Amino acid sequence: MSILLWLIPLLPLAGAAVNGLLGRKFRFSERLIGTIACGTVALAFVCAVAAVVKYANSPTWPTPYVTSQDGWSFTWIAGGATEITEGQKERAQAGNTTSTRNSDGTLTASSTVKVASARGSVLNIEWSYQLDPLSAIFILIVTGVGLCIFVFATGYMHGDAGYYRFFAYMGLFMFSMLVLVLGSNFLLMFVGWEGVGLCSYLLIGYYFDRKEAGDASRKAFITNRIGDFGFALAVFAVIATFGTAQYTDVMRQASAYPIEMLGTFGIMSWIALGLFIGACGKSAQIPLYVWLPDAMAGPTPVSALIHAATMVTAGLYMVTRTNVIFQHSQTMMLIVAVVGALTALFAATIGITQNDIKKVLAYSTVSQLGFMFLACGVGAFVIGIFHVMTHAFFKALMFLGAGSVIHGMHHEQDMRRMGGLKRYMPKTFWTFIAGWLAICGIFPFSGFWSKDEILWRAAGTNYFSGGWMLWLIGTIAATCTAFYMTRLVAMTFWGRERFREVPAGGEADEAHAHGYDEMGLPHDAQLESAGDRPRHEPGEYVGEPHALPHDHHETRGGDVTDTHAAPHGHAIHEPHESPASMWIPLAVLAVLATIGGLVGIGPAFSGDGHPGGKLNIVNWLAPVVWNPVTKGFGTENEAGGAQARPATTENGHVTAPHEASEAAPYGDTGYNLAHTVERSFGSERAAEWFFILLSIVVALVGMGLGYLFYVKNPRLPDAWAARLRPLYRASYHKYWIDELYGLLVTRRTMDAAVGVYTVDAKVIDGAVNGVAALTRRTSNATGLFDRYVVDGIVNGIAYFIRGIMSRVLRAAQTGLTANYALVMVLGLVVAVLIIFYPDIMAAVRGG
Amino acid sequence: MSQLITPVLALLLQAEQPTTRGGVIWQGIQHPDLSKFLVIAALLFIIGVAGVLTRRNIIVIFMSIELILNAANLNFIAFSRYLQDAGYPNAVAGQVFTVFIIVVAAAEAAIGLGIVIALYRNRETIFVDKIDLLKW
Repeated sequence: MSILLWLIPLLPLAGAAVNGLLGRKFRFSERLIGTIACGTVALAFVCAVAAVVKYANSPTWPTPYVTSQDGWSFTWIAGGATEITEGQKERAQAGNTTSTRNSDGTLTASSTVKVASARGSVLNIEWSYQLDPLSAIFILIVTGVGLCIFVFATGYMHGDAGYYRFFAYMGLFMFSMLVLVLGSNFLLMFVGWEGVGLCSYLLIGYYFDRKEAGDASRKAFITNRIGDFGFALAVFAVIATFGTAQYTDVMRQASAYPIEMLGTFGIMSWIALGLFIGACGKSAQIPLYVWLPDAMAGPTPVSALIHAATMVTAGLYMVTRTNVIFQHSQTMMLIVAVVGALTALFAATIGITQNDIKKVLAYSTVSQLGFMFLACGVGAFVIGIFHVMTHAFFKALMFLGAGSVIHGMHHEQDMRRMGGLKRYMPKTFWTFIAGWLAICGIFPFSGFWSKDEILWRAAGTNYFSGGWMLWLIGTIAATCTAFYMTRLVAMTFWGRERFREVPAGGEADEAHAHGYDEMGLPHDAQLESAGDRPRHEPGEYVGEPHALPHDHHETRGGDVTDTHAAPHGHAIHEPHESPASMWIPLAVLAVLATIGGLVGIGPAFSGDGHPGGKLNIVNWLAPVVWNPVTKGFGTENEAGGAQARPATTENGHVTAPHEASEAAPYGDTGYNLAHTVERSFGSERAAEWFFILLSIVVALVGMGLGYLFYVKNPRLPDAWAARLRPLYRASYHKYWIDELYGLLVTRRTMDAAVGVYTVDAKVIDGAVNGVAALTRRTSNATGLFDRYVVDGIVNGIAYFIRGIMSRVLRAAQTGLTANYALVMVLGLVVAVLIIFYPDIMAAVRGG
Repeated sequence: MSQLITPVLALLLQAEQPTTRGGVIWQGIQHPDLSKFLVIAALLFIIGVAGVLTRRNIIVIFMSIELILNAANLNFIAFSRYLQDAGYPNAVAGQVFTVFIIVVAAAEAAIGLGIVIALYRNRETIFVDKIDLLKW
């Protein structure tokens, strides 16, 4: 099993390495690149299935399986003898506080609190993978849905010059995501966390020659940095507090900490806050959600894989993984729930007025992520993960469907120029319908099961008071969801064929490469830098349509050919169905979106509990979730908790006996909507059915409104937009949040940068330049001395030798032998005169 | 040889009584006056040196050098004779040296002319002012 777990991340990495490093140099064909990428992901999926099946059947099932048990690990960061002692005091306090809390009787936890020994831990971070019910779900989602999207992308990216690059990034993303969910400690999660952030950045900015793609990728990266800041602090705090980063150790130690009620904000709350900030960044929650809609500048398969199905759910994974810590802090649970609910409603209201098909889906994703956090916040972590799974199915399906529409519409993303596509793209339409019904929450599509249960658990939460408000917000958001999704389907697939009415090129926020641009010239995309087609404003006149044969829409299989043989100018495009490599993944995901929810079938349909044993995702995941009442993990608490719980609380409320979490973990929380309904119906099942019917009704209301507005009476939207003009404008402009952030944060950052620059230019550079000027002055003075005095001496000597002496001496050197001989003779004469002077004089005198 | 010629010359020049010009010469030959030889040698030397210093043609310079050597030879001979007349009958070193010098001068002339020929082949001139190779 260890080797399988190791293979799961490594296979996509190997594929990415081959594609990325060799694909360009050896000019891999698209078929080869696609085969490598899809093949490695498919193998990883097979490995994941095998590992999960083996794990599910092993006798140690709910216990997390860490590969270091079998030696499949290595010490990644050797801490040596570093002692982590910060947590000692905390641990000591933990022991005291817990015992006092036990005395007041609020908690029924066992009196012996296993405080971790106040040893100075030796911090050795190991690289190993952990398989437990939570990571099992995630690796199945990531590899399974990922495989569908990879296959889709082979068709969607057909003809793009950066094909190899795209699949290299995608493979790298798969690796990072799998490390994130499989890693056995916080640092490994951080590695994956940053890895997916990097890949998200790379893939949003895939069409890097377009400004908005580059801007969007930077926006995503920087926004995520803010979240990662919190996450990193939380990881430090975890290591400082527990002396280890290994999940199993941390969770075991954290269980023993005292619970921090609303208002107290101890170490657990701080850790949870940091983690939640990280989750907000990655999972696009208020206030850090702004990057996700802009991230739609990336290719559509990227939006489906990263920004809908997998990466954005990493925050959910992290919150669920650390649910022990979160559940220790009532404050943080409340914050998580409130942020989730508000995000769900906020994003849903924005989604109503957006016109870009991908933007609608992006806000829908933000909204659904809000639902998931709402689930986590009210203690239903399992349901949150359940919604992650169903959302992965239906949202990936819808994104891919949107990609198929964009592909068929020739890079048109504006829904105002679609309509009536049902006739042209039946396969896309029918698969999209499955996703639509799923996200609206229609029985028995997958979204129904998870979303309904989230709302119900929000209504019945006993983690804090005010669950009914969260339920109300969630229900309104669900109505909005049904409404805007119906709007999307109606504007895209039904109604008039508006693409015949607007004679212009696509706005194409995101579009994969066309082979040629209007003038028949090879487009950028054919060149080294893969690029987008040229962009036009909506309605812009771009010239006469002209015939230009091109074949880039032919499928690799060749079974579906381009149905619009005609002009690829910017005249009317005849929409066409997508090739097999695109609609087959759609069909697979449609099936999953339809029946995928059945793995989490709720107690209302079975009578008691979640049926199906381990096959039910709720039972499967239960061991992961910590129970603040029994202070233990999973199923054993469910049973034990049910027994230990008194039938009635002091207030006389009948507590529902079907969930362990029904016992109020933080004491009584007052008015509880679910319990009130339950009492009025007299039966818990009846109350559950009431909520189920209610959620279906609100979904139907939303859908009916959408149908009324966009199919039945298409004049209504404009009329209502005019009537509610301020609201409409606010929603259309996304509540001006981007502008607000721009004003408050971006501009201020720029100002700060300008200020810092000014300081740098004036003060620091001034100091440097002043010193330089001073030095230059002094050096001028010494330079003068040097030039005139020192050099004067040297040059004077040199001039004397060269200019005067040499002239004299050189004149003597005539080179004529006769001259030298003359000198010799003269010398001889002189010598004779000197030596014989007395004799000569004597001879002269003496005569 | 000299024994055959000397009486003839003496008779012809009436050497017994040096009253005539020839007699004086004869007398001079029989008992040479050293200073006259030295003066002649000095003149030869000066002529040779002047030739060496002033002439351009290497051949002429050679000839001038020969003059200088011969001036030296003359001195050697003169001193040798002077010493013999002064009562040192074995004072023949000067004569021996003269023979050496003549031999060496011959050898030197051979070598020098060879150099001159080589020089002429290379530079097509034997004028020393054209061969100022000592000047860089």
